[in-house]
Amino acid sequence: MTEASISRRWRRRTDLLARWVVRAGGMAIIASVLGIFVFILIEVAPLFRRARAASAPEVPVPPTFLLAGVDETEELAFGISAPGRVEFIPLTEREAPAATELPGFSGRTPTCVFRPLREEEIDVGTADGRLVTASVRFRVGFGEATEDWRSSRTITPETSEPTVLQLDPQEKPLQAVARQSDSRGLVAAAITEDKRLVYLCVLEKKTLMGGVKRTEHRADLTGELPAAPTALTIDGSLENIYVGTAAGHVVHFDIRDLDAPRKVGFDTVRAAGSTPVTAMALLIGDQSLVVGEESGALSVWFQVDDAASSTGKALRRIREFPSHPAAVTAIAPSARDKGFATGDRAGRVRVHHSTSGRTLLSLEGDGSAVTQLVMTPRATGLLALHESGRISRWRIDNPHPEITLQTLFGKVWYEGYNEPAYSWQSGGGTDDFEPKFSLTPLIFGTLKGTVYALLIAVPIAILAAIYTAQFMHPDLRNLIKPTIEVMAALPSVVLGFLAGLWLAPAMERYMPAVLLMLIGIPASTLLALGAWLLLPSRLRGRSRGRLEIVLLMPVLVLAGAACFALGGPLERALFGGDFQQWWYETTGLTYDQRNAVVVGIAMGFAVIPIIFTISEDALSNVPRHLVSGSLALGATRWQTAVRVVLPTASPGIFSAIMIGFGRVVGETMIVLMATGNTPIMEWNLFNGFRTLSANIAVEIPEAPHGGTLYRILFLGALLLFAATFLVNTAAEMVRMRMRARYARL
Amino acid sequence: MVKIKMPKVQEALAVTPALPPERAAPSPAEGVPPSDFVIRIRNLNLWYDGTPALHDVTLDLPRCKVTAFIGPSGCGKSTLLRCLNRLNDLIDGVRMSGSIHVSGQDIYDPFVDVTELRKRVGMVFQKSNPFPKSIFENVAYGPRIHGVRNRSDLDAIVQKSLERAGLWNEAKDRLNRNALELSGGQQQRLCIARALAVDPEILLMDEPCSALDPVSTAHIEELFFDLKTRYTIVLVTHNMQQAARASDRTAFLLQGRLVEVGSTRDMFTNPRKSETQDYITGRFG
Repeated sequence: MTEASISRRWRRRTDLLARWVVRAGGMAIIASVLGIFVFILIEVAPLFRRARAASAPEVPVPPTFLLAGVDETEELAFGISAPGRVEFIPLTEREAPAATELPGFSGRTPTCVFRPLREEEIDVGTADGRLVTASVRFRVGFGEATEDWRSSRTITPETSEPTVLQLDPQEKPLQAVARQSDSRGLVAAAITEDKRLVYLCVLEKKTLMGGVKRTEHRADLTGELPAAPTALTIDGSLENIYVGTAAGHVVHFDIRDLDAPRKVGFDTVRAAGSTPVTAMALLIGDQSLVVGEESGALSVWFQVDDAASSTGKALRRIREFPSHPAAVTAIAPSARDKGFATGDRAGRVRVHHSTSGRTLLSLEGDGSAVTQLVMTPRATGLLALHESGRISRWRIDNPHPEITLQTLFGKVWYEGYNEPAYSWQSGGGTDDFEPKFSLTPLIFGTLKGTVYALLIAVPIAILAAIYTAQFMHPDLRNLIKPTIEVMAALPSVVLGFLAGLWLAPAMERYMPAVLLMLIGIPASTLLALGAWLLLPSRLRGRSRGRLEIVLLMPVLVLAGAACFALGGPLERALFGGDFQQWWYETTGLTYDQRNAVVVGIAMGFAVIPIIFTISEDALSNVPRHLVSGSLALGATRWQTAVRVVLPTASPGIFSAIMIGFGRVVGETMIVLMATGNTPIMEWNLFNGFRTLSANIAVEIPEAPHGGTLYRILFLGALLLFAATFLVNTAAEMVRMRMRARYARL
Repeated sequence: MVKIKMPKVQEALAVTPALPPERAAPSPAEGVPPSDFVIRIRNLNLWYDGTPALHDVTLDLPRCKVTAFIGPSGCGKSTLLRCLNRLNDLIDGVRMSGSIHVSGQDIYDPFVDVTELRKRVGMVFQKSNPFPKSIFENVAYGPRIHGVRNRSDLDAIVQKSLERAGLWNEAKDRLNRNALELSGGQQQRLCIARALAVDPEILLMDEPCSALDPVSTAHIEELFFDLKTRYTIVLVTHNMQQAARASDRTAFLLQGRLVEVGSTRDMFTNPRKSETQDYITGRFG
């Protein structure tokens, strides 16, 4: 083998190797970008997955059984049966604990049962008008340590000594009962068999002697009702009682004076052809009232501001759900979110979510009417007691019920709001808070920040680039350009910190001076240049762009100082001494210390270097012979810059702006620190906003892995990703087309 | 930084400055009266960052003739050409002394409006450099920057200029197409049309055919015969045949010095200096 052929083979091998290494590198980049995209998609996708339900085997129940609840581990259902026994029904393959006799019953028949959400007590109405309240607790213990901890787990129910109250003085059987209590005492109401509405309030006051003084207040509210009562509920804060009637009214009683319930008003469910209200329940948080009707119609109501009402609030029907084909007989609110389940007389069960206004699941029971419906404490299961004496069970997989495109991007009528709104408020202190997940204010905030930042950055950066590339003396340019590029290396957290803690308070104090500078600085620059032109051309002609800029510096400094000096008098003269107050009174808009102008300046500062340096490169790279050609025709340098250099460099400048745009959209630290992060939708210069990127940073500590908020944050990330991807792709396409036009230069 | 030797003001303003007797034009063309020299270069020295590029060049160029600058690469012929429209001003570190008068005016006088000078002294470059605009806009560029707004005036100027540059017949149907779509020779003629559109007195041509094929070159050389009836043409060329074919007078530069200037016929048939002889016969260069 000759040396030449060895060398040729060696060359071919290295060439092949190099080609594969380069190709692998390129593929790896594409794959990692796609990988990020796919990962985000995987995290987001469950938000939009439909709810699923799996039917579990039915369980038989003893006769006269009234279903009350399920334990936390979903292993035991419990309820009450005649003559006053708490029965436990195993939902798994284990032996049922023995039923417990409740002593207070003493042989009376239970007629109805009520269980306040997330309380341990169950309330049972009896055939002789009494209310028996007892707590049922489950103690979870672990026996011998075995491989399978689940099988060694023991669940021991404990029932307390019941309290018994004679709710109906006439001792008639109770048809429906409701009870709530707090530190002040207890409120109970019931509908009797003979269609009376009875009210009882027991107040307990600690006396000075350490004893407890009990007072009872009774009322018969039947007279206040426009028709016979059919359903009722009391809110947990002991303020309202809602009663449904046989003629389709929803009657609202104000019980803030516990000893004197007062009717606020009523509304009919339907304007025409009203049907009886058959079921009612308050969702968690006790704001939203779900009303089910004989016709199968289903609606959610809550109080909104109403000046005409005596309490300033009025109950309004907010949204409708698709009708059941038969009368709604049971409503079970979820203890986790604003979801609820409804059952009808034909044995169907549906699962809904109030915020999203969506019916998530439609399930078939055993065909006989649903008399009672219970959602498990973790809202992962559903038990329906049918008239046939069987319990239908479902396991529900419904992790993100509140998410629809409408709740993410549209207006939603949230509890306590007077109208539908775009709102972002991911969590309150408690579970009964209605989360508000509208991304619209965040998208708006992102746009607002971008617009203000680019409004400040683009003109400054591009004018500076034109000046530097076309007019500045090369020696000075070699100094200025690296300096501005160093600006880009400034960590944005430093900029944000400065903007939030120094610039924002300073601007708040000197706002009139800042506004004055907007006019004063350009005006003094023009004046200075005018004066420069008046100088003899002999002096001017020789500086060639070096002297002007040096002479301009003190002018700018002086102009700035003059603006600050004049700011105070200007504020007194024009704005009555207080700009913020004047702004509020004149425009009706608020002034926040951390506002869009501050962010615009800080973020503008952050992107000026990148826009400047790319534009300057594009402008400097315009072929020299084009510039010479223009100058040789007698064009001035300014004419050459505007008519030849700028159009030729426009693809580069365009991509500079787009890269700046991408940077601003994704910028986090500055907006996080200087916007106040208020997710409001106003173009007002002087208030804050919240961007998608800052939102992710703000909410991360609040977002448990796999939760709705967690996935929505990923959705925000996906939107950011998509926005920058689309903008960059569009920019690149435009740039390619423009470059093709100039390719033959 | 351009350092300009300040001439006395009355001298600068004088329409026909008295030439220093010892520096009279070395070889005035036969039959050309001195007043017909439209460009008068006197004692021109030029340094790039201290390196001399032109040395004591004194030269007169006659009106409505083609004068060719020849010489080997780096001899300073392009530099000399660029002095005539002050395009060297743009280059950093250029220093010069001496004077150049165009139509009697000292063009390095501080009161001279450079844009006005460049309007009078048009230039065509070695590499065709149409702007990335339409053919029409390229030709109309000069008139526009000098304040012609009226569309019909512009139309007339564009047509006249393209006709004079011999491009009208090829370009009249695609005036709105991008100039970069033209062939190399057409682009160079477009650049000539663009230079003509501002109605100059003098056309400087810096190796205008060096990037062109022989057919396009012939086309442009033919143009010179039409153009010189109206314009004074200064042609820098590397190509001896082109200088011989197209020029009336030839100046030979070598290492920044003007070696010889005379009528082209004399130069090519009977050069006075041996360096000229060597160069035009191809011994070096």
